[in-house]
Amino acid sequence: MQFSDRINGGFLVVLGVLAAYGGSLLPPVPGQPVGPNIFPIVIGVGLTICGLLIAFGIGHNFEAEEKIEPTADGSAVATRSMWWIIVPPLLLLFYVFAVEWLGFVLTSAIIAFITSMSLRGTLKIAIAMAIASPLVVHLVFAKLLRVPLPAGLLPLPW
Amino acid sequence: MDAILEGLKLVAATDVLIALLVSAVYGLIIGAIPGLTATMATALLVPITFYLSPLAAITTIVTASAMAIFSGDIPGCLLRIPGTPASAAYTDEAYALTKKGQAELALGASLWFSALGGIFGTIALMIIAPVLADFALSFSTFEYFWLSFLGLMCATLVARSSPVKAVASALIGLLIACIGMENPGGTPRFTFGVTDLLGGVDVIPALVGVFAVSEVMRAMAGPPAAKIGHKSLGSILAGQLELTKKYWRQMTRGNVVGTLVGVLPGAGADMAAWVCYAISKRFSKTPEKFGTGYPEGLVESGAANNAALAGAWVPALIFGIPGDTITAIAIGVLYMKGLNPGPTLFTEKASSMYAIYVIFMLANILMIPLGIIMIRITTKVLNAPQSAVMPLILLCCAVGAFAVGNNLFAVVIVAAFGIIGYVMEANGFPVAAMVLGIIMGSMVEQSLVTSLIKSDGGIMPFFDRPISAVLAVMAITALLWPLFFWLIKRVRQATARATA
Amino acid sequence: MTRLTRRTFSFGAVAAAGGLALRSASAQGNYPSRPITMICPWGAGGGTDATARIVAALLEKEMGQPVNVVNRTGGSGVVGHAAISMAQPDGYTLGIITVEISMMHWQGLTPLTPRSYTPLALMNEDPPGIQVKADSPYKTVKDLADAIKAAPVGKFKCSGTGQGGIWHLALVGWMTAMGLKPDQVAWVPSNGAAPAMQDLAAGGLDLTTCSIPEARAIIEAGKARSLAIMAPKRNPQFPDVPTLKEAMGIDYSTGAWRGFAGPPKLPQPVAEKLTASLKKVYDSKEYKDFMSGRGYGTIWADAAGFASFMDKGDKQMGEAMKAAGLAKA
Repeated sequence: MQFSDRINGGFLVVLGVLAAYGGSLLPPVPGQPVGPNIFPIVIGVGLTICGLLIAFGIGHNFEAEEKIEPTADGSAVATRSMWWIIVPPLLLLFYVFAVEWLGFVLTSAIIAFITSMSLRGTLKIAIAMAIASPLVVHLVFAKLLRVPLPAGLLPLPW
Repeated sequence: MDAILEGLKLVAATDVLIALLVSAVYGLIIGAIPGLTATMATALLVPITFYLSPLAAITTIVTASAMAIFSGDIPGCLLRIPGTPASAAYTDEAYALTKKGQAELALGASLWFSALGGIFGTIALMIIAPVLADFALSFSTFEYFWLSFLGLMCATLVARSSPVKAVASALIGLLIACIGMENPGGTPRFTFGVTDLLGGVDVIPALVGVFAVSEVMRAMAGPPAAKIGHKSLGSILAGQLELTKKYWRQMTRGNVVGTLVGVLPGAGADMAAWVCYAISKRFSKTPEKFGTGYPEGLVESGAANNAALAGAWVPALIFGIPGDTITAIAIGVLYMKGLNPGPTLFTEKASSMYAIYVIFMLANILMIPLGIIMIRITTKVLNAPQSAVMPLILLCCAVGAFAVGNNLFAVVIVAAFGIIGYVMEANGFPVAAMVLGIIMGSMVEQSLVTSLIKSDGGIMPFFDRPISAVLAVMAITALLWPLFFWLIKRVRQATARATA
Repeated sequence: MTRLTRRTFSFGAVAAAGGLALRSASAQGNYPSRPITMICPWGAGGGTDATARIVAALLEKEMGQPVNVVNRTGGSGVVGHAAISMAQPDGYTLGIITVEISMMHWQGLTPLTPRSYTPLALMNEDPPGIQVKADSPYKTVKDLADAIKAAPVGKFKCSGTGQGGIWHLALVGWMTAMGLKPDQVAWVPSNGAAPAMQDLAAGGLDLTTCSIPEARAIIEAGKARSLAIMAPKRNPQFPDVPTLKEAMGIDYSTGAWRGFAGPPKLPQPVAEKLTASLKKVYDSKEYKDFMSGRGYGTIWADAAGFASFMDKGDKQMGEAMKAAGLAKA
């Protein structure tokens, strides 16, 4: 997910232009000299300037060099496939769409299990987390704090 | 004097003492869980306070919020996931100490200076509340504009990355704060027809996303985590007396600035921590060590955020004007319990007032022993495998975001900000600066636009009022200083090259 | 394996559906037979939340079943209001609805109107006040009104809430009632009554039009004065503040109200039972004491009265918003 500063800067320029343009479309407030449009325009201009500066590498020499941290055996970092990073956001979206229907306990057990396994957890840890964490979280939030967590297919007896 | 004794008697009631202890433990736990903040700890208490006596109800709010602000530092320090927006300012610093194996020193400093800051703030509240209240009331939107501008400037100071990227991050934060209809026009802005966005992006789900979820994402992509060992100190507080002696100036400055910022409605503990960390770095003899695991900034900003918490009660108690989101909730509870804020609270209900002061003191003192226990327990997390810690964090993110308004859309926001945070971090954009932008966005815009409306578009009123003028000079100096500094550096480099 | 799961699932679904049918059948007879959820579209600690909680606590005693308040925030109140309207019409999900429901649809923010509910009871209304700074030269609302009339458009600055909020519309209504332009006094949007009162005390504004309970602490601190309220009669908590009609003969009144409602098509017996229970809550000493303690106004209207109250308010709001240029044509 690391891009060159050309791309970063370019993205900021696009974002800035869009913000300023979107801001300029907002209707003015009758009877007032300034409305909701002024702030997005200012931010948009600022972002565009920042984007240009970054794209052309101005001010880059300020940046503290990122140290590459050696792993335990001192070798360079061996990363996994980038696709793994998408797992946590997907699990959160799964929560949003499934919790009403599956209920909190089942949904969170699935999330805990997948998270644990994706982090190279042993099957034992993953199952333990899948059982323990929904119960603990449910106890704290639903029972003690009265947060309405949906019961769904598997309501808890308490 | 009678009122003070009466107040002490009120506090000595069994239900109040139980409320104190239980809410202390509750606040410590909620604050320490990534994804749950001090504001949420207070919001979730409201239904429970309904069944308590007036003083016990206030006790739970005061105690839980103070504890949660401290323990918000814990996940920040151990996992680089700040528990509250106030902790976000110095999370990197604390985590750097943890990586050096000094987690207990960092947390000990957090605890010790939080408690001292809270006690300082309480004393200020007791002695000079009316003066502070008048100070707060002298701030019109012109002053707020400069203040929030200064607050934003802290983004560039705090970050270790390129200042341009820090400014860009803060601007992205401001742009996110534009979303919703809470703007000067009262019209939906950048909501793209999504009803859930009408109320804007709340800072809590955004914070949880950029710090906690992106941390889980990094764990997914990264190599198996290297164990971070930690030295178990004989006594957590032993090193703190030494730090207090060494950094007493920073601590006092943090206390004073924290209280003053906290007193100003709308600014609060979040801003206090940022401002004080930035001040600490600016005036430090060794600013280059900041961010590498150096306790100086921790001392000052840790001292500041708990002092600010007490300060925020000043306008709340005297004028019913909330200093921050926590006191906004607390005011509701005060009203509900017939302790209506206002000067009459100090005259007609003086004993209750003293009782509240005593509770503040007790809460901050109780923080030390309970905090030590908490630190001992939580540092065990450093020894637990990622595959056991991260699932719980992810669940807490989902449930915590949901619980703020019982709205599932907040969980979508968390997921989105997880991705935003990950991408920004990977490209050297400091996410903390973006969080600051989201926190300050509404205040900057509101104060700028309302000031312009009031001055009919004129600029002069921004400099006319005395406090406003002082703040303006400070802001402009802060703005031009790095440019000046950069020019000098350039000139020196050029001359050095010329002579070489 | 798949088949088995599917069968188990469909069995579960049938059982669940059966349970649902059972529940709704019994709902008619001995309602309520299980806990009731009360949705509050605004956050914990606010005035609406407090009202919902005191009513829920008293309703619990009346109905003999727990009444749980759930804050459903987001979307500036739209999300919670929609949740009430879209709930199962079985009487187990109710909500507190606020004046915003008669405003937001004019701005095109939501299709929900006061008619998207089964009204149960109106229980609170707070009229706007007119506040000035303590050392302001205007001693009466008439002084202030004369000065406003004499000044150029936009000279006077007023605040109290955001653009298009209830107190903004109160100002517009007052101006039109005096025969002035809606923007004779410039509206300065703020994040609510508290910051507006602070700005008034700091000398940044000429007047505010928030309700007196919201301004109370600052008034009692001697930093501001209330000149009048836009209500048909004086507030017993603040007997010295005259109404607009008394002070200048203008018969204009409006207010921020809170009432209780359920989703549309609520069964008649259930709705009647709820309204009867809410009436008992309204008449209780606890409710009256709580509301007067906060300075909140109490007003009662039953289901039919609440419906016509909302219809009238809805029309009035529409006119004010069109005058202010806030309504979508």
